[in-house]
Amino acid sequence: MKKCDHFKDLILTDYIDGQLGKGMAENLESHLLDCGDCRAFFKEIKNNVTAPLQQATRQPVPSELWSTIKQNIELKNQATSPITDLVERIKGLFIFPRLIPILASCILMFLAGSVTLNTIHLQQVKDQDQGEYLVSLLSPTGTATAADNNDGGTPIEHYFL
Amino acid sequence: MEDIDKDILIRASQGDVQAFEEVYKVSSSFVYNVALRVVNNREDALEVAQEVFMIIYDKLKGFRFESSFKTWVYRITANYAINYAKKNSRAKTVPFEESFGEGAVESDIHGQMDQEHQGQLVEKLLAELNPDQRACVVLRDIQGLSYEEIAQALNININTVRSRLKRSREKLLSLRGKVDYEKV
Repeated sequence: MKKCDHFKDLILTDYIDGQLGKGMAENLESHLLDCGDCRAFFKEIKNNVTAPLQQATRQPVPSELWSTIKQNIELKNQATSPITDLVERIKGLFIFPRLIPILASCILMFLAGSVTLNTIHLQQVKDQDQGEYLVSLLSPTGTATAADNNDGGTPIEHYFL
Repeated sequence: MEDIDKDILIRASQGDVQAFEEVYKVSSSFVYNVALRVVNNREDALEVAQEVFMIIYDKLKGFRFESSFKTWVYRITANYAINYAKKNSRAKTVPFEESFGEGAVESDIHGQMDQEHQGQLVEKLLAELNPDQRACVVLRDIQGLSYEEIAQALNININTVRSRLKRSREKLLSLRGKVDYEKV
C-alpha cells in the first residue's frame, strides 16, 4: 500500500509529465502491470485531469491588443522627447540614492578625523602634565614649574610658598 | 514560444516600434493565452497582456541577454497575471457547483466534446485552483513548459513546482464526481 502511495505521487507529477528518469519509469510501469488500483488511478488522472487541459484550444489574440499597445508606446515616446530625456538624466545624477552614500562617507570621514585629532590632543595634554609633574619632583623647592615662577597662582599658594 | 533574433531585440530595445512589433508577433499568443487562463476572463486578459507588453517595452532597454528572452517573457507574464488574479479573484470566481452542477456538462475527452463546452470546462476547472496553482497548471498542461522552465518563470524551487502540480491535480480529480466526463 505504501508502495502504491509512492507510485501515485509519481503518477501525479513526474510520470504523467514525462519527467521521470528511464529507470524509475520502467519500475513504475512494471508496477502498473501488476496493480489494478494504480492503473485505474493513472487512467483517471490522464483522462480527467491532464487531457482536458492539454486539449484546450489556443485562443486567437484579439486584434485590438496590438493597436492599443502601439498607441500607448507612441504616447510614451511623445512624453519622453530628447530634451525631457536629457533633463531626466541630469536629475538622475542628483537623486537621493546617489547622494546618500556620498553624504554618509563625508560624515564618517569627519567623525574619524575629529576622533583622531581629539586623541592626539589628549595625548599631548597628558604628556605636558607628566612633564610638569616630573620637573616639580626634581626641583629642590618643589616649586620649579615654569608657571609657578611667574606671578601666577592663588593667594593660598603664595602663602605656602 | 519561438526564439527571437538578437538583432530584432536590440532594435526593439532602442525604441524601434517595428522591431517591437516583431517581438509582439512572436510572443503575443503565449502572453495572451497565459493571461487568459490565469485570470480566467477575456477583458482582464487583454488588460494583463497590454500591461505585460508595456513592461517588456520599458524594460527591454535594460535587458542584458544574460538570461533567455523567452524565460524573461514567461516570468513577466506569469507573475503579472498571478498578481492580477490574486487582486481580483474574489469578485470573479464562480463556484464550480453553480455552473457545473450534476449533468450540466456533457463531455467526451476523446474529442467529441464541442469546442465551446471544452473551453467552458477548462475555464471552470481552472477556476477551482488558486492563482499560484493555476499558473503552474497552465504553464505545464496548456503551454507545455518543463518543470525547470516553470521554476525559472515563477522563481520557485523545482520541488515547489511538483507540489503545486500535485495538489492542483488532486483537487481537479476530486471534482470528477461533479462532472460526468464519460457521458457523451
